[in-house]
Amino acid sequence: MKISKAVITAAGRKQRTLPLQTLIDSDGAEKSVLSIIVEEALRAGVDEICVVVQPGDAEQYAKVAGDHAGRLHFVSQHEALGYGHAVYCARDFVGNDPFLHLVGDHLYVSRTETGCAEQLVTLASKNACAVSAVQATRENLLPYYGTVRGARVAGTQDLYQIETVVEKPTPTEAEQSLIVPGMRAGHYLCFFGMHVLTPTVMDILGKLIQACGGNTRVSLSEALDELAGKERYLALEKHDWRYDVGVKYGLLTAQLALALSGKDRDEVLSKLIELLALRDQRATGR
Amino acid sequence: MSMLINIIRSQDKAVRDQALDAFCRNASLDQLCAECAELDSFRRSSDNLYERVRALFFLYAVYRFHIPARLPADQIGRVPFDGYTNLLQRRFEEAIDIFLGMQAKHGLSDAIASALAESYHRLGFQTLANQVRKSVRSVAGNHWMFRIGHPADQPLRIRPELLPDTGDRSNHPILRETTPVRMDLTHSGWSDIFFLGMDFPEGARVLNVSIDLCIRDISGMNKPKPPVEAYFRVIDRPVLRLVSVDLEAVAEITSLAEVFDFARDYLGLLKGAVIASGIVPPGMEGAEQPLSDVLGRLVKPGYGIEIVSQVNNIPKGSRLAVSTNLLACLISVCMRATGQTRYLTGQLEEHERRLVAARAILGEWLGGSGGGWQDSGGVWPGIKLIQGEEAAEGDPEFEISRGRLLPSHQVLTETDVSMETREQLQQSLVLVHGGMAQDVGPILEMVTEKYLLRSESEWKGRQEAIKTLDYIIGYLKSGDVHNVGLATHRNFFGPIQTIIPWASNLYTETIIDRVRSEFIDDFWGFWMLGGMSGGGMGFIFHPQKKTSAQVKLQEIMSTVKHELENGVPFAMEPVVYDFAINEKGTTAELLHHDDALMPAGYYTQAVPSLLRKEARHMSALQRAELDRFSEACNVNPQLTGMMQKLFERLLPRPDQVGAGKKTLQELLDANGFDLEQHERIKADLRSGRIGLAQNRLPIGTKIEDVSPDDVTDATYGLGTLYKKMGMEALKEGMVAVITLAGGAGSRWTKGAGVVKALNPFCKMSGKHRNFIEIHLAKNRRITRKCGTSIPHIITTSYLTHEPIADVLTRERNFGHEGQVMLSPGRFVGLRLIPMSRDLRFAWEEMPQQLLDEQAQKVRESLHQALIGWAQSMGEANDYTDNLPLQCMHPVGHWYEVPNLLCNGVLAKLLDERPQLKYLMMHNVDTLGADVDPAILGHHIDSGSSMTCEVITKRLDDRGGGLARINGQLRLIEGLALPHEKVEFELSYYNTATTWIDIDQLLESFGLKRADLADQAVVTTAIHKLAARMPTYITLKDVKKRWGKGQEDIFPITQFEKLWGDMTALSELTFSFVAVSRLRGQQLKEPAQLDGWLRDGSEGHVDSICAW
Repeated sequence: MKISKAVITAAGRKQRTLPLQTLIDSDGAEKSVLSIIVEEALRAGVDEICVVVQPGDAEQYAKVAGDHAGRLHFVSQHEALGYGHAVYCARDFVGNDPFLHLVGDHLYVSRTETGCAEQLVTLASKNACAVSAVQATRENLLPYYGTVRGARVAGTQDLYQIETVVEKPTPTEAEQSLIVPGMRAGHYLCFFGMHVLTPTVMDILGKLIQACGGNTRVSLSEALDELAGKERYLALEKHDWRYDVGVKYGLLTAQLALALSGKDRDEVLSKLIELLALRDQRATGR
Repeated sequence: MSMLINIIRSQDKAVRDQALDAFCRNASLDQLCAECAELDSFRRSSDNLYERVRALFFLYAVYRFHIPARLPADQIGRVPFDGYTNLLQRRFEEAIDIFLGMQAKHGLSDAIASALAESYHRLGFQTLANQVRKSVRSVAGNHWMFRIGHPADQPLRIRPELLPDTGDRSNHPILRETTPVRMDLTHSGWSDIFFLGMDFPEGARVLNVSIDLCIRDISGMNKPKPPVEAYFRVIDRPVLRLVSVDLEAVAEITSLAEVFDFARDYLGLLKGAVIASGIVPPGMEGAEQPLSDVLGRLVKPGYGIEIVSQVNNIPKGSRLAVSTNLLACLISVCMRATGQTRYLTGQLEEHERRLVAARAILGEWLGGSGGGWQDSGGVWPGIKLIQGEEAAEGDPEFEISRGRLLPSHQVLTETDVSMETREQLQQSLVLVHGGMAQDVGPILEMVTEKYLLRSESEWKGRQEAIKTLDYIIGYLKSGDVHNVGLATHRNFFGPIQTIIPWASNLYTETIIDRVRSEFIDDFWGFWMLGGMSGGGMGFIFHPQKKTSAQVKLQEIMSTVKHELENGVPFAMEPVVYDFAINEKGTTAELLHHDDALMPAGYYTQAVPSLLRKEARHMSALQRAELDRFSEACNVNPQLTGMMQKLFERLLPRPDQVGAGKKTLQELLDANGFDLEQHERIKADLRSGRIGLAQNRLPIGTKIEDVSPDDVTDATYGLGTLYKKMGMEALKEGMVAVITLAGGAGSRWTKGAGVVKALNPFCKMSGKHRNFIEIHLAKNRRITRKCGTSIPHIITTSYLTHEPIADVLTRERNFGHEGQVMLSPGRFVGLRLIPMSRDLRFAWEEMPQQLLDEQAQKVRESLHQALIGWAQSMGEANDYTDNLPLQCMHPVGHWYEVPNLLCNGVLAKLLDERPQLKYLMMHNVDTLGADVDPAILGHHIDSGSSMTCEVITKRLDDRGGGLARINGQLRLIEGLALPHEKVEFELSYYNTATTWIDIDQLLESFGLKRADLADQAVVTTAIHKLAARMPTYITLKDVKKRWGKGQEDIFPITQFEKLWGDMTALSELTFSFVAVSRLRGQQLKEPAQLDGWLRDGSEGHVDSICAW
């Protein structure tokens, strides 16, 4: 299975300006969040990228995409019908192909030389099925993520066959139906914000959206739960780092993470230490 | 291998179900001791819950019932104080080790056996409680709540449907949950006790019906509806607002600590639900952060929630598990609101109901209470069979107990029980609340204990109760309600009373008799609901008779209650219900806009305080709510008359004394209240001259145990010579009996203000008997033996005189042929608000029985609230905030003899019987005391002014004893001992039975027989001697009743002078006689009754009575 397309969603009400923010990437170059995400996708071998935006946002996005603007297709989400609907907006772009899906407000830092998306795409290609990146997440963060239950694939350390997907479960529900053997107490496999999906997802989303009749929002998790019942669907447990730039200090944390994992690490580190030392001096009055 | 361990471990049912008693009956003392040693080491090493618990109960029973019967009755033993303090601190293992060490060193004694029995008993229940707690925590869906400790980690969020409308900020939707209560159609021998389900799942089965209810009214306007309701909404202030409409309690909580403070107000149940539903998870207890942090994450910053509970007119003690179902209802509404159920409204799914039930158990434990596993049955719809389930792999109980904590629920369909049968059941059954609201806790402990001991008759009874359930299911399937009635009736008079005789009482049986004679064959049967009878009960009639039966039952219950209420504690007037089977279980609906109204009672409480506020100080929600409420008052029929109620609330009228009722002042005046003494006591209390700590003798007082020569041993009798001498005196009419029945018996009735002496507590010789009847029957027996009538004087007080006089007249002295006289009290005190100093002394400095972890927290919180109450009411002020009779107090039994002198009873008796020379005076609860000729002979022979009877001590015999105080042999009150430890060094306990030489006694007052006619001389003499007697300050519990069967218990201060202090008078001479336990023991609390019945005490009392 070859994955040459990617879909980035950036149409959320609170999300739309985040990809426009500027950061210094780990290579020391100044880039927009959007560019960093696009580069993550490109490193994974993707050729074409579709960005789902709110109507009127495409122009600004194209501007901050820099050299990559030419590769981007923009699709507008005209109605705020949820995350699932945003993905569904890219159905014509995806056609009958599998695709990499990233969210527009997350940045990733890999522990290895291989990019996070690249690892995911390689695995999906090899197994010829949908794969979602997941991460062991403490139960207090359940209100923010889709969560999966799965059985470990024999002979692997970090691969699970997904059985159930629940969008933002309560810990009560998680404890009753989402416990994965081998996980620490109070920890669940939550989405990492990165998926390789098959076109079946678009069919499922289409049906769900039709069933709702445009009255309620459709979550991607609902469709993925159905996908798990229809075809082989794996979860890859990631030990890398993900940064949500939309939360309080999210952008700052992401920036620090990028800087500390790149070529300017020593410079940033020494500045941080200097800051801490100065703060300490002030606090003690010396 | 030990025989008893073999019984416990055997896989063969026939062996495992053998009764302990059967083995012990033929075992020698040595065999029993050897078995105990093996059992103790077995229970320490076993990992299996059932094995440990059964071994503990075997040990308890052997030490409580079988070993004492084989020990010499005159053997003196002591309970080591450090063992006792460990026991109080719930360090049971340490206590057991100390007691066993004492046994190994000094041999086994009755005292050590009693201490070991108590320790094993408590450890057994502690082990069970720990397992229930562990299992509830282990239920999937509950773990996380114990891990979340910081508000920032709160993982729940309010469902968006409940958030205020962004377009119309005044629209705060309300989620309303309504839940039926449950009735147990079968009463399978209390098989819903947790441990039964966990050890004997196949025998743990009940048929449980969800019902709607209302109090029946003649107009027929009331229609049954779900009796419990809970309301949930988001509010625009960052507080947790809890409201109980029926208890009229409101709290706006801003700190996490207050959420966990259960006894601070009447909102413990709502707090339990908030915690058990995860809104404030139990893991947050002790966190310092403000509650608004939790609410901010749960809702959004600046917002809070309001939870309102309402019970629709169902009084406490209904035996319909109202409080558990209310808790479940509250938990359910909170879970729905926080997305922990699939649907916000409508019915719950099965796995959600199970979680609600598990969390209700958790909530009850948090609040320090607990019921059975079927109690949250109202969450499920209709009729269901609830049964124990074997623990399987994956269950937290697997390999720990045979059964699971939570049973399974099988809802019976219309095919199982047709709609016609359901209808017929509703047409035949009359549900009532008899008015009694007793604590069933001791009953449930007895059931557990008897199950584990497999006592022969009780075990047989349990098998029959199990069969009854099958019969009832069969009858329901075939639509035969008549036979259902017969079966429940048989169950009550058969298995239920075989297992627990205390489940029945005179009140219930009198009602049943009268209903039977009124309706004859149209009365199909009685049906006991819940833990014991007297509260919620069912009567099954021919359907055509239901309406007339409802009317008649109300009449019968009211009449019988009136006849018995002086001796039986009633919490309220009896009521008859209308009911309907609820086929939905718990359900919820979401109310918007104009429909978003709280129950009417909520507004009676909330609106007056809102009206007192200026509009600009109200939040948007409060302003909108007032608008909506005033609008609804015009159109909503449920709010009819609301304006009138609001006016009454805003301008309350003063309470008026009921016609014919005496005021407190009138009662005080009529009963010899000494205002001068009262004011002196108040001043002394306030200044700290008297108080609990000041009751004690100086620390330097030399207190020694007595030597064998100080006491005459009468445990095996005193020989024929004394007996003959005593019998002669009896024949000559030289003796009278005094039964002290002036006290309130507050430990017996928990301060309910009824007369303990008239409490028909036990069936003897086929009838329920009260204390007075038993004392008269003992007198009758001796009278018949000696051939001369023995006058029987019953001392009374303002509290007991009229009821005792009424009952004796109505019952014609219970057929007693001899002379019965009442000696009314002539002294009375007025209770006082306690000093916080004394409360702290009692609760913090005196050794206190520590409760189970959570119950202890609740108690400590209650103590803080009560100290606050005392301070706000004014320490040492007069206690007047209760019924007048509850504000007065008897002034101690020292005054009983002066009463006899004052009220002319002794003078009259001596006039009629100049030969009268001796009095035998005893407490009303010393049931084994009779006019024993041998002890009388010994008293005569000794020539002493008084002979006091003492017994060797057991663990619970506390409150003083016989000692040498600075060299003087005398009785000493526990209150006066400088340290608790001293009491444990004394060998004998005072039974308070005293033989008195009348002339020598009069002499101590400075009187002669002839002086008794002169009231002034007598009064002066009494005051003179009273001044020499120490005054003790004591704390007593007093009940205050309010609402619908609700009761509060307050500690109040009163003073006492005690008879035992007479032994300190040097001008009198005293003898001390050690008597057998059967003769000298006292029945202080109803919880002692079962042991009293089983250890042969009841049989002994019966044997010294002539009925």
